[in-house]
Amino acid sequence: MAAVKPLRVSDETQVDTSVATLTLRPWNVIVWDDPVTPMSVVVVILRKIFGYPNNKATQLMLTVHHEGRAVVWSGPLERAQSYCVKLQVAGLVATIERDA
Amino acid sequence: MASRLFVRRRDGRLEVRLNDAGRQMVAEAFAHVLAAESDPEHDWHASLNGPIDPSTDLDDPLATLSRQHEITSNVELAIATLHEDFLNDAEAWAWLCSLQVALRGLVTAKGLLSADRLAQSDVATRDYITTLQSLLFGLADVM
Repeated sequence: MAAVKPLRVSDETQVDTSVATLTLRPWNVIVWDDPVTPMSVVVVILRKIFGYPNNKATQLMLTVHHEGRAVVWSGPLERAQSYCVKLQVAGLVATIERDA
Repeated sequence: MASRLFVRRRDGRLEVRLNDAGRQMVAEAFAHVLAAESDPEHDWHASLNGPIDPSTDLDDPLATLSRQHEITSNVELAIATLHEDFLNDAEAWAWLCSLQVALRGLVTAKGLLSADRLAQSDVATRDYITTLQSLLFGLADVM
């Protein structure tokens, strides 16, 4: 008599791997260096617009100065646009770009 | 030691210590910003309308409209308080933004976007830029 192969019952959850995972890449707000804007003005603007503490605003300003640009904020498109506009209104050279 | 152009008073107000010539210079800078925002032919107009997202041909019209509105609001407030002896924080912010926009407008219009080009510019332009920077330094110090 042939042995009856028992049914394997799995209690593991089946995962449908065919469903793609959607990852939203954030948008970066970039401040660019220019040769005339006083450093202390950049710090004041970053503090005022983002509410950053003085040391963080200073660190970002130094990154702009030494590297030519700095990512000062990342997040959803609408807020990135809004922050970029505020920086431009304050006279800084700012743009947005999709995070790589 | 040079006297300070702006002083934070104990009551929180910001005292403006500019003489008539200084205020006249500031008035001209503000007038340029106001004109440049609405006049596409103005030399500074392009610098006030830089791209927000350079990867697209056109920026979101709501964002550009918001920028135009905010620049105009700031400079109108700055002009309205031009002859005040004391500014509150909102008025001081409007002065700072408008002076910084004026500085950027000037250097962009004259193509002075590098330290070398700046050093080669004429004396009058360099003096004007230095004066704007001094005003901005003074304001940033007390904000």
